[in-house]
Amino acid sequence: MKIRTIALNTFGSFLRNKVILLFSSLFACVVLLMMSPLLAYNAQTTAANALQMQGLILNEVSAVITMVSAFGSLLAAWAAADSLSSELKSGTILAVMARPLRRLEFLAGKYIAVLMLMLVYVFAMLGVTLLLAWLGGQRYHTALWTLLVYPMVRYAIWAALAMLLATLIHPVFVLGIVVLLATLVHVLADASSSIPAFVRIPGHLLLPMTNLLSEERFLIITKASVKPFPWTGHVTALAYGIDYALVCFVLAAFLFQYRSLTRD
Amino acid sequence: MAAPAIEFQEVSKSYMRRFRSVEVPALSGVSFEVAQGEVCAFLGPNGAGKTTSMSILMGFIYADQGRTRVFGHRPGEVKAKERIGFLPENFAFYRYLNAEKLLDFHLRLSGRQVPEPAALIGELLVRVRLDRYKGLKIGKYSRGMIQRLGIAQALLGNPELLVLDEPTSGLDPAGRKEVRDLILALKAEGKTIFLSSHILSEVEQICDRVIIIDRGRVVRAGPLQQLLSSGTTVEIVVEQLPQELEPAVNERGGIIEREAGRVRIIADAGQKRALAEMLWAGGCDVISLSPVKSSLEEMFLKLVGEGNAQP
Repeated sequence: MKIRTIALNTFGSFLRNKVILLFSSLFACVVLLMMSPLLAYNAQTTAANALQMQGLILNEVSAVITMVSAFGSLLAAWAAADSLSSELKSGTILAVMARPLRRLEFLAGKYIAVLMLMLVYVFAMLGVTLLLAWLGGQRYHTALWTLLVYPMVRYAIWAALAMLLATLIHPVFVLGIVVLLATLVHVLADASSSIPAFVRIPGHLLLPMTNLLSEERFLIITKASVKPFPWTGHVTALAYGIDYALVCFVLAAFLFQYRSLTRD
Repeated sequence: MAAPAIEFQEVSKSYMRRFRSVEVPALSGVSFEVAQGEVCAFLGPNGAGKTTSMSILMGFIYADQGRTRVFGHRPGEVKAKERIGFLPENFAFYRYLNAEKLLDFHLRLSGRQVPEPAALIGELLVRVRLDRYKGLKIGKYSRGMIQRLGIAQALLGNPELLVLDEPTSGLDPAGRKEVRDLILALKAEGKTIFLSSHILSEVEQICDRVIIIDRGRVVRAGPLQQLLSSGTTVEIVVEQLPQELEPAVNERGGIIEREAGRVRIIADAGQKRALAEMLWAGGCDVISLSPVKSSLEEMFLKLVGEGNAQP
């Protein structure tokens, strides 16, 4: 009940958060802008250039989806870090934590609020993805749940990691570190990169390898190129993600338990 | 015997300055108790350690050493917090909520089961005179309105102990009187109140006990009446004082104040017997002889020094 109260109040504050609203508006503008070449390609498609146009369209769709996904990670990280640090900075946390509420319940409420925000985002992202595929004359050959659950787990990881960092540092630095980590993950995940083993192995152990949770592992947006992906693959990948997020959340709860709640 | 509402035993706390390895002591071996049903003022100049103590009491920060208990529980424990209503200094709020929604949010967190939450919230808003503004966003409230709303949220859970950090801060004289009356009403209900305030005349009117802290140490603690009457001055009132006795009174350090129909002599307590005997022998009719009570402000300034005049 108390966790739900915190979660709903925090979710309400997200919907009024100027930074989140600004970024969401900018993002919507960019998506709309990127749609126009897609429509142009589609209009110019004839029987003679169908294959060439399909290639262009798929590249465009892929770029938009990558951007949407990356933005989601940043949104999850920012929302998680800001929801915690803004309470500490403004002092609103004092009246809240004077209530018979455990620190863990407070943090869990905040985390659930971030997941609620990201669920809305993931549904919107799914809508954009399906729209783009439809505009490009393509169709997804996969179960829709994967397009909802995989990004949610990815965002759960970034949110938990950001919450962990926000117990120690300012949210702007948190965002910077998240961008840096996401870039490192991308580099490490690239099989063709020649990274020495002493960097690669600890990197794989410590960093959130969100590439394992990428839809690209089992999905390519063409008419007939769905990769075979066994259910054990889904279970393993999702368990990894949930486990990583849980570890980050538990560490965040531990640090939050012992930190000062007075104004920073 | 009931556990004290608040118990501090040899509590110490230091802060580390950021980017420097300098330790700044905030509290050094602070010990005091507040019994259940008492109204206790916690006084001290700025930076004396009042807010640090209150933060430890509420479980917002942890003491480095010592033992703190609230109704026998550790600070920050749910069982302790169930019995506390807290008003922080400069009460901060969610600006996008209105008073009703904020109080509803806090009521849900308090875990208090009431048959009609809206009725309780309405009643509290009337009590703090915010019922006319209940639909207005808190971001548009004045400082005094926010403070009153803070008091309302502190009362929401029907707490046994109220911890009020500067409850009259930002209020006009009428608002201050209302808060004072509210505290007196809560005292009559048997609530324990632990408050800090800058306005010592108010403290004198409402508090049973006073704890004065300076530079992280308790410099005086005790029942207010006892502390105020522990001065070393006496007042002797006589009907008339012949001119020829004045030099003898002055010789014994007496200060003479002539008023209509009577004469007051203020003197050191050590001289009271000699002065009284001399006045009787000189034919003066002594009306009264009583210890002079110093004001809380005088005592405060004496204890913390004129340099720290801001309580």
